[in-house]
Amino acid sequence: MIEVNQIKKVYKDGNFALKGVSFKIDKKITSIIGQNGAGKTTLIRILSTQLLPSSGKASINGYDVVKNPYKVREITVSIPQEARPMLWYNSIDLVRMYLCARGMNMIKAKPVAEAAIKRVGLWDSRYKLAGDLSGGQKRKILVAMALASDADVIFLDEPTTGLDPLSRIEVWSAIKAIKGQVILTTHYMEEAQALSDDVIMMEKGKVISQGSVGELLKSFYGLVRVESKRRIKGRTSYKVGNTWISYVEKKKAESFVLKDDIIKPISLDDIFIKKGVNLES
Amino acid sequence: MNLNYIVGHVVIGARSIKVNWPYMVSNLAFPLSLLFVVGILSQGKLLPFALVGGLLSIIAMNGITAVSYLGSLKFDYIYQDLIMTTKTSKIDYMFAHLLGELVWIIPSVVLYFVLDIIFSILTPYTFLMTLFLGALVSVATYSISFWFSGVVKNNRYTPAIGTVLGLLMITLPPTFYPYTYLPKSALYILTFIPTTPAVILAQGVFGIAPMQWYMLPVLIIETLAYFLIAKYLTKWRED
Repeated sequence: MIEVNQIKKVYKDGNFALKGVSFKIDKKITSIIGQNGAGKTTLIRILSTQLLPSSGKASINGYDVVKNPYKVREITVSIPQEARPMLWYNSIDLVRMYLCARGMNMIKAKPVAEAAIKRVGLWDSRYKLAGDLSGGQKRKILVAMALASDADVIFLDEPTTGLDPLSRIEVWSAIKAIKGQVILTTHYMEEAQALSDDVIMMEKGKVISQGSVGELLKSFYGLVRVESKRRIKGRTSYKVGNTWISYVEKKKAESFVLKDDIIKPISLDDIFIKKGVNLES
Repeated sequence: MNLNYIVGHVVIGARSIKVNWPYMVSNLAFPLSLLFVVGILSQGKLLPFALVGGLLSIIAMNGITAVSYLGSLKFDYIYQDLIMTTKTSKIDYMFAHLLGELVWIIPSVVLYFVLDIIFSILTPYTFLMTLFLGALVSVATYSISFWFSGVVKNNRYTPAIGTVLGLLMITLPPTFYPYTYLPKSALYILTFIPTTPAVILAQGVFGIAPMQWYMLPVLIIETLAYFLIAKYLTKWRED
């Protein structure tokens, strides 16, 4: 169980990264979504004891992240956003070294690392240096570290950013294989939908919604999204870039659209759109 | 202390020698070139000084240029953040990398000891004292590197910082010539560089210059001071 209570983070330059964030997480996989600068990474860094909050409290399985960082580190794993495996080692050695950092001796670490490398599908490339692997395979080494650690809580900060669609699916299946509770940040809404039991939506340092994908999309039940170059009469429309977005009933959609309009199924993007958040994608 | 990380990092790290062997050669290049130049220019008279100082300079150079490697691990690989959230403390991390880096200069150290034997200046006493002084120099220089890598905001300048500090560490102190050549005022100023007291002591131990035992507490205090700076002033968890 992760409890976050009024966490604030103000950087030395006066920039507010988190403006009083509170939530509880007890589901298997939780995604924290939001655009760049929403505060996702800052939050993960605070929860994984890399960064001190300016105020507020947060605990993981009852251990305070400020007062008990060593205990928190024992039960959690954090894979930072831009972490890359060192290119001059093979995948098994990288996972072994990580397990040693967690306190396991290198002899015991070997079979555990091998099992994790098998589970993420890197067994055939196990003796290749990380520098000779693809971007997806490198990310999988990091996921293998999380898998091998057998920690209670795993933080993955944007685990699939920059990966091609196939590699993303491969990393997703590796994430699903993790035993512990997973908290991941992403700005890919389909990733959050595909993986999460619970979703926390953040915007400008605040939590704007929390719930399962179904709960969050409840208000869109029976609707589809229409993307158009014009405003649809009689409907509330939201302007995102040069596109007007409106929500219409699935059955009536055909009667609203013109030749160039696009009809799309509802996704988590739509919650941000309705809340007036300008998305990048 | 997380000994498992220290041992694991050193043993597994050493396996990358197969891939990164050119670094071993590069560790040898500068001191051996200087040894050659000093030997030629002094017509062999200063060769014992260059042999004694050369070995310590390899250790110092190895410790101080680590700033670039540590910076790369911190900024390019985000490895420090990855390890920080484990059982490993910053001192475990520092010592694991210090020992890991020392592996890379083993051939250089062995070569210097062989040269010492060839030139008949190595005895069990000088051998052990060299190892002792080398260990202190290594801790002092690596502590400086670790602290610098924590201070810099990005990795753009760490290779340059490493090169400048490395040259300061091995060319300003009397590494390749008798310390008695230096004016006293310069010697006192240079004492702040850990290589200086180490080299003065080494020259005394090898019997090629007068012994200055007072340099031993100086070196120990300096090493301790640099270590404490690394321990307490290096950023680990951010505020």
